[in-house]
Amino acid sequence: MLRCDPRNPGTPMYRYDSFDRQFIAERVRHYRAQTERYLAGELSEDEFRHLRLRNGLYVQRLAPMLRVAVPYGTLSSTQLRTLAHIARDYDRGYGHLSTRQNMQFNWPELAEVPDILEALAEVEMHAIQTSGNCIRNVTTDEFSGVAADETLDPRPYCEIIRQWSTSHPEFDWLPRKFKIAVTGAAEDRAAIDVHDIGLRVYRDAAGERLVDFIVGGGLGRTPVIGETIRTGLPMAHLLTYLEAVMRVYNRYGRRDNKYKARIKILVRALTAEGFRAKVDEEWALVRDSASVLTVAEIERVEGYFVPPAWPSVPDATATLAEQRLANPAFGRWVANNVMAHRQPGYAAVVLSTKVTGIPPGDVSDRQMQAVADWADRYGFGEIRISHQQNFVLPDVPQAALFELWQAACREGLGESNVGLLTNIICCPGGDYCSLANAKSIPVAEAIQQRFDDYDYLHDLGPIDLNISGCMNACGHHHVGTIGILGVDKKGEEFYQISIGGHAGHAGQTASIGAIIGPSVSRDEVPDVIGRILDTYVALRAPGETFLATCRRIGTEPFKERIYGRAD
Amino acid sequence: MAALIEIDRVSGTLRGADAGRAGLPLLAPEAWHGQADAGLRLPGDAEPEARFAEAPLIAIEFPAFHDGRGLSLAVLLRTRFGFTGELRAIGDVRPDLLHYLVRCGFDTFELAEGVSIDLADPRLVPHLQYYQASVRDPEPAFRRVARGRAA
Ligand code: SF4
Repeated sequence: MLRCDPRNPGTPMYRYDSFDRQFIAERVRHYRAQTERYLAGELSEDEFRHLRLRNGLYVQRLAPMLRVAVPYGTLSSTQLRTLAHIARDYDRGYGHLSTRQNMQFNWPELAEVPDILEALAEVEMHAIQTSGNCIRNVTTDEFSGVAADETLDPRPYCEIIRQWSTSHPEFDWLPRKFKIAVTGAAEDRAAIDVHDIGLRVYRDAAGERLVDFIVGGGLGRTPVIGETIRTGLPMAHLLTYLEAVMRVYNRYGRRDNKYKARIKILVRALTAEGFRAKVDEEWALVRDSASVLTVAEIERVEGYFVPPAWPSVPDATATLAEQRLANPAFGRWVANNVMAHRQPGYAAVVLSTKVTGIPPGDVSDRQMQAVADWADRYGFGEIRISHQQNFVLPDVPQAALFELWQAACREGLGESNVGLLTNIICCPGGDYCSLANAKSIPVAEAIQQRFDDYDYLHDLGPIDLNISGCMNACGHHHVGTIGILGVDKKGEEFYQISIGGHAGHAGQTASIGAIIGPSVSRDEVPDVIGRILDTYVALRAPGETFLATCRRIGTEPFKERIYGRAD
Repeated sequence: MAALIEIDRVSGTLRGADAGRAGLPLLAPEAWHGQADAGLRLPGDAEPEARFAEAPLIAIEFPAFHDGRGLSLAVLLRTRFGFTGELRAIGDVRPDLLHYLVRCGFDTFELAEGVSIDLADPRLVPHLQYYQASVRDPEPAFRRVARGRAA
């Protein structure tokens, strides 16, 4: 409808130049040679493991898993079609949207991975550093560039960090994996408080680009809210300050125990003050280096993200209101899945993958194809992946919403549950992941089955239910308003339930959930969730959200009602 | 005896190193007092000292190839302490990781016991250019080469 050149020249996203293209092509060739040497028995298992991890390849429970980087969750329709093709030709017809805005394939053949990487390189994609103890794919707000509450578009800085961190000579062999998230909006939709480094980018009153550094947040075995160690740093120093933080971590982070190797443990050991002092001391010595960003470089990268010339579209408010009235299901979808856009007449749309019976985040090749087509037909050829494992179409004219909704319903992507209990964040768990203590997908399904009445879900209001199959917390259970963690009890799968966590979006402060009692068996989970919800409904003040009730009354009333006692 | 490889600082090519240098004794920091006929042997977590800059040779030990502390130590010795002598990587040194070591300022590499190397193998130099600044390329790509622009 707007622009649909298959190569998306109008899509506001980073495009490779000859430097990037050469780098990625070299990397694919290099990895192909390493794979061949491994298959020929010339490279040891351990050495190849570290090398394949830096190229996105895990060996999972049933087969290898390839994690493709979707830099800061942004895809063009052409790229998404390539992912559909990979799902079809190299996998079993589907892919999985991860909580780090990436796409995972669960069934590739190890020997075919170099071919997949080559297909990705053709559309300016890669799988570099999506696993291993290195700087991972940088994540950000899925509404970057279109959100009404944004002060500075974070994507250019994500891209600058992507380039800087790619095959970094000094920081590719860290004590542990390293995750950076960036936000540029008033509301933090990137969970910057629970990342190894969280960055807030903005402009000051004089128009200067600044960045705040939060370090040492994280989930996993020891969930921690990060500490702000630097505010108002001029953007030119983004990389020099990152270098200082990374050097302190690389040198002093623990390497003797992988559970104590994340930066949060170092920050805690040194105290935030002590850590900041070390970083500042280091920074003083690198702050004038050649890594200081030039205005030309910042503006060069920003140039790729200039918003499209949104054609002015007729105001569709009245039509939209009529359509909503005539069709309550559509009305519900608009209320939950359609987000405010900074350009009048447009909206950002979340296409939910959270359909009962489908593992959260799983999408078929056909769905990918359809989403790519909609991005071209209704938008500017751009798609985002959110950390809640959904697709986002960032620029849809309001007048096209009804048609898009109908198409989405036909393809199983029209669920109206964004922000509600059934928009479950869920890691692959015991069905796929070799580290799991318990399955997570069947738990999500049982919950979606039990709570399928939209009137009830609406009455409950905003609830984030997050499930992880083990302490690694890929399903972000600590920051779920309801969190479920798979644990192993004498060889059996049990689930520990917590409440009151939050990732820091919707204008709330981030918090780590509190466990409400002994773990329960899989069959019991939906009942326990039901009792938690009943408790909330019984005890909430008028208009109070689940999170607010938890914060006001604490866990005791929940414990009492769920376990029949307070402990 | 493990193979010793060196890099030509100018051309960046790798070649077998001369055996004489390999024989220089290596001393711990406490035992080294500025002797010109002995090198220093540092673990990856050593704190660099200004006096180290005078050493003819510093060998940094990698207990495991995936332990990156020695990389930061090398960068500090080169960029902060102005060490210009020979910087050698010893321990669990593997061919596929030489490019990291080279960029962090190492110039000789004692390969892990039993590891062989084909110096003509292209994998030793996976990329012609990198994005970031490093000891070998003190300027990042955005200062070094003309990068693309948005259409
Ligand atoms: S949380 Fe655990 S089970 Fe789930 S994907 Fe991560 S490592 Fe696997």
